[in-house]
Amino acid sequence: MHKSRNFWLVMGLTPIILMLCVMMGSSGIGLPDITTEREILMLRLTRVLCGLIIGAALSSAGVVFQAVLRNPLAEPYILGVSSGAGLGAAIAIVSGISAISAAILPLCAFIMAIITLAIVYGLSHNGSSPSIYGLILSGVIVSAICSSLLMFMVSVSSIEGMHSILWWMLGNLEVSSYNVLIIIGVIVTAGCIGLWTLSRELNALTLGHQMAHHLGIRVKVTIIIALLLATLVASAAVGVAGLIGFVGLIVPHIMRNLVGADHRRLIPAAAIGGGAFLAACDALARTVLAVEIPVGVITALLGGPFFIFLLKRRRTQNWLE
Amino acid sequence: MTNAIQLQHVTAKYREHPVLQNLSLTIKAGEMVGILGPNGAGKSTLFNVVSGLLSPASGTVKLFDADLRRMPPRERARAIAVVPQELDIPVPYTVSEIVMMGRTVSIGRFSSPTAQDRQAVERAMVYTDVADIRDRPLNELSGGERQRAIVAMVLAQEPRIILMDEATSHLDINHRLEIMQLVERLNREEGVTVMLISHDLQMAAEFSRRLIVLDHGQIVADGEPGAVLTEETLRRVYHCDVRVCQDPKTGGLSILAAPRLPAAGTGKGIHIHAVAGGGCGEATLRRLALCGYTLSCGVVSRGDMDAEVGAVLGVDLALEKPFSPISREALHTANEMATKADALILTPIPFGSGNLANLELLDQALAAGKPVFIAAGIEERDFTHTRQAEQAIRALLLHGAIPYRDVAELLTLLPTHSGRS
Repeated sequence: MHKSRNFWLVMGLTPIILMLCVMMGSSGIGLPDITTEREILMLRLTRVLCGLIIGAALSSAGVVFQAVLRNPLAEPYILGVSSGAGLGAAIAIVSGISAISAAILPLCAFIMAIITLAIVYGLSHNGSSPSIYGLILSGVIVSAICSSLLMFMVSVSSIEGMHSILWWMLGNLEVSSYNVLIIIGVIVTAGCIGLWTLSRELNALTLGHQMAHHLGIRVKVTIIIALLLATLVASAAVGVAGLIGFVGLIVPHIMRNLVGADHRRLIPAAAIGGGAFLAACDALARTVLAVEIPVGVITALLGGPFFIFLLKRRRTQNWLE
Repeated sequence: MTNAIQLQHVTAKYREHPVLQNLSLTIKAGEMVGILGPNGAGKSTLFNVVSGLLSPASGTVKLFDADLRRMPPRERARAIAVVPQELDIPVPYTVSEIVMMGRTVSIGRFSSPTAQDRQAVERAMVYTDVADIRDRPLNELSGGERQRAIVAMVLAQEPRIILMDEATSHLDINHRLEIMQLVERLNREEGVTVMLISHDLQMAAEFSRRLIVLDHGQIVADGEPGAVLTEETLRRVYHCDVRVCQDPKTGGLSILAAPRLPAAGTGKGIHIHAVAGGGCGEATLRRLALCGYTLSCGVVSRGDMDAEVGAVLGVDLALEKPFSPISREALHTANEMATKADALILTPIPFGSGNLANLELLDQALAAGKPVFIAAGIEERDFTHTRQAEQAIRALLLHGAIPYRDVAELLTLLPTHSGRS
């Protein structure tokens, strides 16, 4: 069947894409020499690894938000979860508590992201399941509030800090330490595996809360666990890489077309494919211009039009594939 | 035989609004029961309570003698499944993926479907005739194919009770019969208990061996289709005239909505004077005007909805200033109209001290030997302090005024053109 063939295609192509990403960089195209250019090689390897982790986190979070909220446009960035996580991370950085342990930053990001999600969901909720436009609107509003709080913190912080926070807000895959990378890697891997074990529940939930109930799912518990896990991986990603938008929108939709909507296949495909996608975007960001551009700029440039395309298509079609 | 579904004194509420009231009901294993009733009667709420979506405010629900509240979701899904009226599936699942979802609780979290799961899915797809389209995405299918796929999912669940919530109402007659026959077969051959909600009385009568009629959250009739589907029950519940006929060939029941409007010329040349007001008489006026009656109306306040509708319909009006009690002059005008009328009617209007004088018109007409028709239910519309209106109307009825329930009944009572000639 073509769906399972596509699944293995995604799994097989990813290492090749990652390999190509390692070969691209501002210091030239080609694999750096392991003896003479060890530094460059390590730098590129961590970048690609970071891309893989962050991309996987954002994409699988997107898949889960879309399934649980039964909404094709749900995505960490659009839901305001990313901005919330960003605000949490910025608080941790500016207040200096992030220096205590590498785990503090993702923790702060997670707490703020959960609060944001609760607010957005509460605003768009009117008894039944939240409406698509309700979610988008409240996501935009809450994002705007988080962003202005972030801006406030930027403006009162020292001048040297400004560039790094701005740079971070636009999204980039530079990691400060291997420690951070390891912690994020563990959180994201565990989170994605956790979400994957919820596959059958997520499948049932896409049929609506009532039908999921009839099929024997504990609806409320499942929704809470799934949203918590998805927010956890998304906020961990944001805490490290900043506001990288639209990955959780583009990748799940492409993967649904390729491997089908069954979450047993969709979650691993989106995680792996999303990792490859973000690593590739980052490789582009490093090489297209003489100066490096933030990877968030690339994903937004790709994702914005994609979002509009989905929104327009929604009018004529039930869901977006 | 065991009880498949047992409700004991169940009261259920939606947002503090009671929908089911102290409802008790037992359905034995292997029964096929149709649930009928007008919109808002509590049919869907009954299903939600039985399927565990809604916890009753009081009372108990048992499935196969096990308390539904204490039943783990997995057990519940094995006992009962629901075919919804329509399922909005926003994700492009294929038919076989959807049908496999019926096995959600039988497939372990960390294992793939077993041979038994695959067999159940296969069987369900063959049963519902969707095996040929197993790889097509659901959103590309026609409504009938899609509903069949959903029925297949429910079959794959292998429940002992199936609830069908208007599951065939979106289908054309051919697919509707197909699905109903399929469900009937499951019921007869495998002993699956079936409960179905349908607005199609005829189909419900044909496929169910027991019918339950709900109204205002209570059971108003329960029994064999022939005993339940009587003209009287249906009229009481649906508030419209129906005719129940038995097909001489098959013995099946057919339910026809009786023509509600007499022919357009019925009232030609007959003058009716109506006592209306407060917008409560406009429906009656409109209906009578449609039947060709010559109408007059009063005393009614200027600006009243009834007065405005009357003016549009060309009704002769005896008017009074807004918000003032009926004056002698106005009553005199109305009385002149009433003396010319062939019959008088009192529409279902509320009474206060201000419009009580209108009842004198009816009294005088009755004394003059004219037929007077009075809308039933004055008890709820009398707002005078000493229940004067109620007393006056009791007296009128004693002296020969004729009560009527609704316009449909009124039309059967009024003198007609043909009756006169």
